[in-house]
Amino acid sequence: MRELKKILLWMLVVSMVVVFSMVGCKPAAGEEAVVEEEVAEVAEEEVAPAVEGTLKIWHYEADNAMSASWDSAMEEFKAMYPNVTVEFELKTFEQMQETAKMVLSSNDVPDVMECNKGSATAGLYAAEGLLTDLTDEAEARGWDEILGSSFQTTSRYDENGTMGLGNLYGITNYGEFVMVYYNKDMFEEYGVEVPTSLEEFEAVADTFVAEGIVPLTLGGLDKWPLGHNWYEMVLYNVDRDFITNFQTLQGDIDFQGAAFTLGAEKFAEHATKGYYGTNANGIGYDDANAAFVQGQVPMNITGSWMYGGFLTQIEDFEWGIFIMPGKDFNTGSGGNLWVVPQNAKNKDLAMEFINLTLGKSAQTIMANAGGIPINADLTQITDPKVLDLNEAFNNIVQNDGLAYYPDWPVPGYMDTLGASLQELIAGTMTPAEFNDAIAIPYNDYKASIE
Amino acid sequence: MDNKSIIFNRMVKSLSLFAIIVLLLIMLLPFALIMINSFKTEAEYYVSGPFSLPKSFNLDTLKGVWNMMDFSIKLRNSIIISLSTALLAIAISLFTAFALGIGKVKGKFFFIVFFLLAMVLPQEVLVFPLYYLFKLLGLYNTQFSLILTIAVLYSSFGTYLLSSVFSVFTRETIEAAEIDGCNKLQLLFRIVVPVSMPSLSVLFVFFFIWSWNEFFMPLIFLISNNKQTIPIAMALARGEYGETVTSQAAAALLGIIPCIIFFVLFQRTLTKGITLGSIK
Amino acid sequence: MVHKAYSTNTKTTTLNTGSSLKKGYLIFLIPGVLLFLLIIVFPLLANIGLSFTKWSGVGTPVWVGFDNYMKAIGDSIFWTSFKNNLLLVIVITTIPTLIGLLLAGFLFEYIATKFGRGTTNFFRAGFYLPQIVPVVVAGIVWRWILQPNWGVLNWSLKAVGLGMLTRSWLGDASTALPSIMMMMIWFQIGYPLVIFMAALQRVDPVVYEAAALDGASWFQRFFYITIRLIRPEIFVVVVTTIIFALKTFGQVYVMTGGGPGNATIVASYFSYQNFFSRSRVGYGATIATVLTIIIILVAIGFIRMQIKQEQES
Repeated sequence: MRELKKILLWMLVVSMVVVFSMVGCKPAAGEEAVVEEEVAEVAEEEVAPAVEGTLKIWHYEADNAMSASWDSAMEEFKAMYPNVTVEFELKTFEQMQETAKMVLSSNDVPDVMECNKGSATAGLYAAEGLLTDLTDEAEARGWDEILGSSFQTTSRYDENGTMGLGNLYGITNYGEFVMVYYNKDMFEEYGVEVPTSLEEFEAVADTFVAEGIVPLTLGGLDKWPLGHNWYEMVLYNVDRDFITNFQTLQGDIDFQGAAFTLGAEKFAEHATKGYYGTNANGIGYDDANAAFVQGQVPMNITGSWMYGGFLTQIEDFEWGIFIMPGKDFNTGSGGNLWVVPQNAKNKDLAMEFINLTLGKSAQTIMANAGGIPINADLTQITDPKVLDLNEAFNNIVQNDGLAYYPDWPVPGYMDTLGASLQELIAGTMTPAEFNDAIAIPYNDYKASIE
Repeated sequence: MDNKSIIFNRMVKSLSLFAIIVLLLIMLLPFALIMINSFKTEAEYYVSGPFSLPKSFNLDTLKGVWNMMDFSIKLRNSIIISLSTALLAIAISLFTAFALGIGKVKGKFFFIVFFLLAMVLPQEVLVFPLYYLFKLLGLYNTQFSLILTIAVLYSSFGTYLLSSVFSVFTRETIEAAEIDGCNKLQLLFRIVVPVSMPSLSVLFVFFFIWSWNEFFMPLIFLISNNKQTIPIAMALARGEYGETVTSQAAAALLGIIPCIIFFVLFQRTLTKGITLGSIK
Repeated sequence: MVHKAYSTNTKTTTLNTGSSLKKGYLIFLIPGVLLFLLIIVFPLLANIGLSFTKWSGVGTPVWVGFDNYMKAIGDSIFWTSFKNNLLLVIVITTIPTLIGLLLAGFLFEYIATKFGRGTTNFFRAGFYLPQIVPVVVAGIVWRWILQPNWGVLNWSLKAVGLGMLTRSWLGDASTALPSIMMMMIWFQIGYPLVIFMAALQRVDPVVYEAAALDGASWFQRFFYITIRLIRPEIFVVVVTTIIFALKTFGQVYVMTGGGPGNATIVASYFSYQNFFSRSRVGYGATIATVLTIIIILVAIGFIRMQIKQEQES
């Protein structure tokens, strides 16, 4: 009895603590401060107080250009529909990878959700009837024109889930690509310049290694970052057909061919030469980025999604970006997609929200926050850093150089590819063994959908 | 014993005492480290290292992590789920053990073994069909589905324990009660429950702590952020509050503190209970 | 009440209490059994059924017979995962149990007699503390300690001049699984300790005194008498620890994700990967079924041995 009383007393105490801390009105994670200028603009037009209901939004971007842009879009939405409750949940990328399918096939779905692009994710969900067909809506609202042909590839999926064909199931509102972030101060200190070829890049890295500095930071513990570094090496030997075939699981992909062989060999070689230090597999992605931000490591090969974050976090040194030099293709694509689950209850409101994220206001905010919008007037942007980023991306797009991402074709490829990459970088697999290992899940999946 | 072996004995004993103290310190070191490093600033950590005491009681990191994680909500969820699971599990165990331990239904042994196997099952083997079932019932992503599942799993252990505890009640006692005009429900609640209260409290504490620590089921069944429990929130911790040394320590500390509170409050019950369960 | 029972004893023997006793109680069994069937039996059977299909999780499963099992036999990752589980079982069952045994003996015999109850309890609580934390949080704490750049372990090694011993503990295939084992040993020590200390309390001290008088050293007394006397508890600890090690999941999820490569992958995690990220529900079900069979065999073995022991005593 004494124990029971103790338990009850403790419950009382804790519930009081909980209640007080909730009443202390801390904002829910993800809701940023109101962006007042934009809201004022919208409030003058298009307010629809008669519309009621709820809008559930899920995404997994935080503290970057996308989250800033979408936060503002949410504020615009709230101003337009004052009687609609906006329920926003901040997820994580890993969480969505693992549970997206379960969520989408249940009844407790969000109305609009950020979704990874590619046959193994959006394609799979579309093929299984879990996503709303957005083709008509896109035409009516002019989204298809905003996307243009280059970004429609990642939005279209057919009844087999093959990317690039079929109807529109997702809408992106930004672009992304992988590049090399570099510490200008450290480059100057050690007398190296931005490389213009792979050989020069290796020379730069060798210089740092010789000085006892780890040239490249890498979050191998989380597996997926490894994919970007390796894929950049693969791209030195590919053409457009190869990329299309690889993504759509068509044709004959030779995993021991020139592209993959160079990719694996170069990646392994770089690891052996010490470009990634000895701890790459033991550090998470966040820690790896932190090392770059703190000025410990001169280069960081990762995506444009970090650009906005770096803009605010890096205070101690000058930094810039360059593309891995000497090749025609670059890891990159249209950004993650907004999808509307088939079971969503408030599809109209979802469409309105998507429209707002593509609108000039939200897109301009994305640019200013260090992102790559697809519908902003860049002549209005004066920040040179933002212009750098967008210029680099536009160059790639204009040269038809977007090569997408390597984990898209097969469900769970991120895990298996990542695990094999960990072994490659640790030297426990030779490049040839690696290429065999990553061929298996790919060919298995390809066989299973035929 | 001669002098030499007495001295040798003493030396061995003192050495062992020393060794045990050292071992204890090592065991507790991770906790201590997490604690002191949650109150430092990042810069302090890099300059003075993990073992230095914090210069000041800097609560910023903890506050920041608490907010980023919506810790109040996760705490509330953990409490609600653990409480409900423990109560439901005890209720189920009580009824089932009542039938088996006192009613001495035929096949008691078979039942108990059967139930006990449920405790040892790896949860992955149940999760996909359960997901489907709950989806059909419209219960996916609700705390109720989680509570129900876990309570049933735990009740197998509760049944096992209680039926052996109930064997205390002899046939005579039960029959006497019935002659006195007790029906079964009265027998259960007026006699059996009060007498076995110590075991019930032990079970309650156990079930509460076990469900607090559950990871796999909540990971799959609770999708919405505002339904998740503390272990899930810890595991998914990424992004800003996962980036620095001190914020990672702070996040871990938040996960540990409730458990330590439980432990301090219920230490005696816990140790009593662990041994109870091990001997039939 | 008892008096009444006595006085009416003769009358009760004539009552047909046999079947009515059981009938009335059957109703109390129903909720438990129903829930048990719903939540445990049917899903278990469904999972076994799924293991014979190929399914992505949505749409209809396709029957493939023993294909998945054949695939598992030929899948090196499958074997690696169970091998890792086996290694975990061996290490986590022996080391903490042994340490727990020695600690229990020492605490019980020496500390308790010399320093009293309070101190003993203090030590016991301290060693048990890791057990009260969710295993996931313990994993997070250790991941923090083992971080290669700023983590406590490497920092300490460097600080005492052993810098050459620093490693990427979780990133190096040769130290990843041992690191997880270290964490699990740390986590697990308290459990056997508490159980053995309680067990020692029921050992009659007269036995020890007799042995001491006979000239047996502490060591001999411990190994020949103590261990034999608390055999049932040792048994329980071993079996429950084996099952705990077979079910390893959260630690791997939070510390290494199965990596580097597949160095730390375990059956639970491998099954989870197939279920949820690789959309190979049938194959995931196969792995889970195999794991379940192994665990059930261990549990049944335990129950049988316990019955045998009880019959012996």
